[in-house]
Amino acid sequence: MADALVVRDLSKRFGGLLAVQSFSFSVAENETMALIGPNGAGKTTSFHLITGYHRPDPGSSVVAFGRELVGLKPHDICAFGLARTFQVARPFGHMTVLANVMTGAFLRGRKLEAARERAREAIAFVGLEARAHTPARDLTTIDQRRLEMARALATEPRLLMFDEVMAGLNPSEIDQAVALIGKLSGRGLTIIIIEHVMRAIMAVASRIVVLDHGQKIAEGEPKEVMSDPDVIRAYLGSGYAAKPAAGEAPC
Amino acid sequence: MAGTRIPPGVFVAALAVVAVAAPLAMPTPFYVDIMIRVALFSFIGVAWNLLGGYAKQLSLGHAAFFGLGAYTSTILEVNYGVSPWIGMLAGGVVAAAASLPIGAMCFRLRGPYFAISTIATAQVLMLLFLKFRGLAWGAEGTTIPNLGDAPLMMQFAAKAAYYYVALALLAVALVVTWLIERSWMGYYLVALGEDEDAAEAVGVNVPRIKRHVFAISAFLTGLAGTFYIQYIYFIDPNTAFSFNISVEAALVSIVGGIGTLWGPVLGTALLEVTSALLQSWLGAGLGGVQLTIYALILMAVILLRPTGLIGLLTDARDRLFGGGKRTKEVVFDG
Repeated sequence: MADALVVRDLSKRFGGLLAVQSFSFSVAENETMALIGPNGAGKTTSFHLITGYHRPDPGSSVVAFGRELVGLKPHDICAFGLARTFQVARPFGHMTVLANVMTGAFLRGRKLEAARERAREAIAFVGLEARAHTPARDLTTIDQRRLEMARALATEPRLLMFDEVMAGLNPSEIDQAVALIGKLSGRGLTIIIIEHVMRAIMAVASRIVVLDHGQKIAEGEPKEVMSDPDVIRAYLGSGYAAKPAAGEAPC
Repeated sequence: MAGTRIPPGVFVAALAVVAVAAPLAMPTPFYVDIMIRVALFSFIGVAWNLLGGYAKQLSLGHAAFFGLGAYTSTILEVNYGVSPWIGMLAGGVVAAAASLPIGAMCFRLRGPYFAISTIATAQVLMLLFLKFRGLAWGAEGTTIPNLGDAPLMMQFAAKAAYYYVALALLAVALVVTWLIERSWMGYYLVALGEDEDAAEAVGVNVPRIKRHVFAISAFLTGLAGTFYIQYIYFIDPNTAFSFNISVEAALVSIVGGIGTLWGPVLGTALLEVTSALLQSWLGAGLGGVQLTIYALILMAVILLRPTGLIGLLTDARDRLFGGGKRTKEVVFDG
């Protein structure tokens, strides 16, 4: 299958800190990939670099669907078909759910009625119909995440990037979110998730890439990655590295 | 915003009739003068509100555009004999053009830093017109030649005529705002006012939309500058680029209800009328009492009702007619 996203030598230095170092990976079309790693590993920074919020250091290359994205603004990248959510949900608080999602829908057509229609579809897809006229700031955490997903979906992306959409959710909410991601994948979308909830990763991801201190330390099928001694060391410290089983996950 | 029980069309038509008939009911020109100020500052407030209210870019430098509009039409009239009607449009265009470099500089900053930088641009323009006498009469300013009753030169014998010009300007600004509020642009403005990064993430070209709304707002404010100078027959840098203009533009919107269509009109009606009446009743004799009362009203509104008078009215309506649950803030719905 063709590659949706090819990242080569992605690097970012903040003063003395190398946040991301020569990070390379690729995602095939309609694949669901998980990006994991301890806090501060550079996962969110990588998202920022790919989506244009930070400018990567020279020599970095981000090619999506055959086009180089480095140097483009976030709104250009979104228009090109890469949509993202934020680690801490950032809804437009003083707008209702419907107005929030319509704002995303206007990217593919400026007509009010058509945008409202497409927004309603996206809202129904994430199961927020009952909240359509609720101000976004009054939503619960899971509903705010749902809203962010709907808003991203309304821009009609080809590649979705979710930054910890499951953090803080309870087990049944996680199941709902997993089902939602499965549904999106079923629609043919390519998905990259940053996640700490192992149960969810195991359920949705066909491949895992592990970052630590800005460098890729492992990559592969979920099962094999989770038993990799380097990954266990990065997550739990070297004391645990000798233990063979890593089925139940570090969080 | 939720719709009123009375169809909005009927409400607007009734309001228009009252606004048009009002000068006939005024006992003296003094009251017509107050009405002119209400219409004019409502107009400036509505123009400011596009940028400051919907997009939450708190400009405190709209005097820059007011002054540029005023000077453009005055220079054209006094030096070249061009009618201020044409000069007014030219002034609007100059103001809109000036908003591009001013925006390019100020929009690099966010929040309070943006506000401070806009104050600076208006002050710099005032200083330019003060110090460069060759530009336009320097500090002395100039009077507009009085032609008596010359409607083609925007001079009228009847005070009420000025009122109708200001009212027409206000109507234009309200229609422009209403159209923007009901289009994709309104959604984009509110969204970027809420969170610029999140707006970019859903494809909003934030710098471009800011530039556009700034230009529209500046254009309208420039028209107000021409009208005001024609009304008072005098221009100098301190009048045209007065910091008070900038503050008033922001205040009437904040008091009336920021980011709402009618907020600036309500705010101006309250502030201008109380300020003018207090001034005439108390005079200058009591040294500042009227300013104190004015300030107390301001503080009361902002503390008790941060959504402004619009919030107060919708609350009252909901209580009277048992409408939806009380909302603390204005919410933009689909």
